[in-house]
Amino acid sequence: MKIITSLLAGASLALVASMSSAASTGNTLATVDPEADRLALQAFFQKRFPQVELDDYANGIYALDAASRAQWEEMEEFPPYEFDIEAGEEMFNTPFANGKSYADCFENGGMGIRQNFPYWSDEQDRVVTLELAINQCREANGEKKLKAKKGAIAQISAYMASTSAGNIIDVKIPNDKAKAAYLDGKAQFYSRRGQLNMSCANCHVQGVNIPIRADRTSATLGHVTHFPVFRSKWGELGTLHRRFGGCQNNVRGTPLKAQGKEYSNLEFFMTYMSNGLEVNGPGSRK
Amino acid sequence: MKKYLPLVAALVLSSGSVAAASFEDAFNAERALHGKGHTFTFEGKEYTTDHPEELEAAAEATEANAKALIASAKAKHKEVKAVGYDWTLTKGILKSANKALKAGKFQEAMNLAAQAKYHARMGIRQAQRSAEDWVIMVPGS
Ligand code: HEC
Repeated sequence: MKIITSLLAGASLALVASMSSAASTGNTLATVDPEADRLALQAFFQKRFPQVELDDYANGIYALDAASRAQWEEMEEFPPYEFDIEAGEEMFNTPFANGKSYADCFENGGMGIRQNFPYWSDEQDRVVTLELAINQCREANGEKKLKAKKGAIAQISAYMASTSAGNIIDVKIPNDKAKAAYLDGKAQFYSRRGQLNMSCANCHVQGVNIPIRADRTSATLGHVTHFPVFRSKWGELGTLHRRFGGCQNNVRGTPLKAQGKEYSNLEFFMTYMSNGLEVNGPGSRK
Repeated sequence: MKKYLPLVAALVLSSGSVAAASFEDAFNAERALHGKGHTFTFEGKEYTTDHPEELEAAAEATEANAKALIASAKAKHKEVKAVGYDWTLTKGILKSANKALKAGKFQEAMNLAAQAKYHARMGIRQAQRSAEDWVIMVPGS
C-alpha cells in the first residue's frame, strides 16, 4: 500500500511540473519532433540522476540501483543466455528445406545489424522488428512462422544481437508515415491503460527507481538495448514484446499482440529514444 | 466512509468550482462519496449514483433479461478490445456470468454481466481520455 502511495504522489507531482512548463506539445503529426523528444527525455533523466552516465542506461535498473548491481554483475560472469546464443547460431546457420538460409534475407548476411531495427518499411506500410523480419524470412522460404515471444525466435534474435555488440542504435524516421508510427508508439507509451490506470511512463519515466514489490523500475532510456533478455523469473529467454505484455498485464490491461502493429510502433518509439546507446543484447535481468 | 470526505472534497475543488465540473466529474465525486443508490442534483436535475449497468441489472431477474444483458456486455467487450484497452478481468467475469446463467442463477448472471459491461465501458472511456491528455506526461512538453 505504501508503495502505491508514494508512486502516485510522485506521479502527480511530476504531472504538475510538466504542466507548468507547457510549450510545444508534440502530439500531432505536424508538431511531433522525435529528436527533440529524445533530447528532452535524456535531459529529464540526467537532471534526475546527475551522477549516472548516459551510456550506463543500457544496463537498465542496475544503472540506478547499486544494491542489485553487484548481484547482476556476478550473474553476468556466467551468462545464463550463453546456451541460447549457441542454439541461435546453429539455427541461423542451418539451411531451410529450399537450401537458402537466414543470411540470405538480411543485409550483411544478418551480422552486426541489430542497431538498425526496428525500421519503417514503406513497402509493408508498417514498422518491421527484428523478430518480424526473422519470421518473414522463414515464410518467404516456405518455412512455418515461429512463435513470437520465446523459444527459437528469441534465440535467433539473441545470436543476431550478439554479433552487433557495441554497435550504436540508429533508428531512422525517413518520412511522414514513419513519423505517424512513431507518434502512435509515443502515444501508447504515455497513455494510461488497464484497470490500474497507469502508463508505461508512470513507472518508467516519472516513477523511475521506485520500489514495486521486489523490483525497482528502470528508466525507459536504454530499455531496448539488451533484448532479447534472459529473466530469472522466466527461467528462459524472452522478446521485448513478451516484456511489454507482462508490464501491461501487471496493470491489469490485456496485452496486445506480440509483433502486431501497436507493439511494433511502441518499440519504434522506445528504440528511437535509445538512439546513440550501444547494443548489448542479449542481457540478463531478475 | 466519512474519512474519505476531505479527499473527495479536495478533488472536486481542485478540478475547478463544483458548478463548473462536468457531469462525469460530479457523478464520480457523488459516487465515491455515497456509493450506489444515492440521489444528487446536477444543474437543476436529479440523478442517481448508480452506473447505467447497475440499473440494467436491476431489471427483473429472468433468463431472457440475463441473456440480453450478457449479450450487450459481450458487445461492449468486443468494442473495448477493438480499441486495445481491454482490462484483464473482464473476460473471466463474462465467463462467470455465462456459468451463472446456465445454473439458472439469473440475478447473479445479470450482476456479473453488468460488471463486465462497466469494465468495458470504462476501458473505452480510458482510451478517449488517454487520447486527450497523454501528452502532459511527456518530459519537455
Ligand atoms: C506498475 C509499474 C509499471 C508499468 C505501468 C510498466 N512497467 Fe515495465 N516494468 C516494471 C517493473 C517493476 C519492471 C522490472 C524492473 C525493471 O527492470 O524496470 C519492468 C520492466 C520493464 C522492461 C524491462 C527492462 C529491462 O531492463 O529489461 C521493459 C522493456 C518495460 N518494463 C517496458 C514497459 C512498457 C513498454 C510499459 C507500458 C506498456 C511498462 N513497462 C509499464 C513496472 C512497470
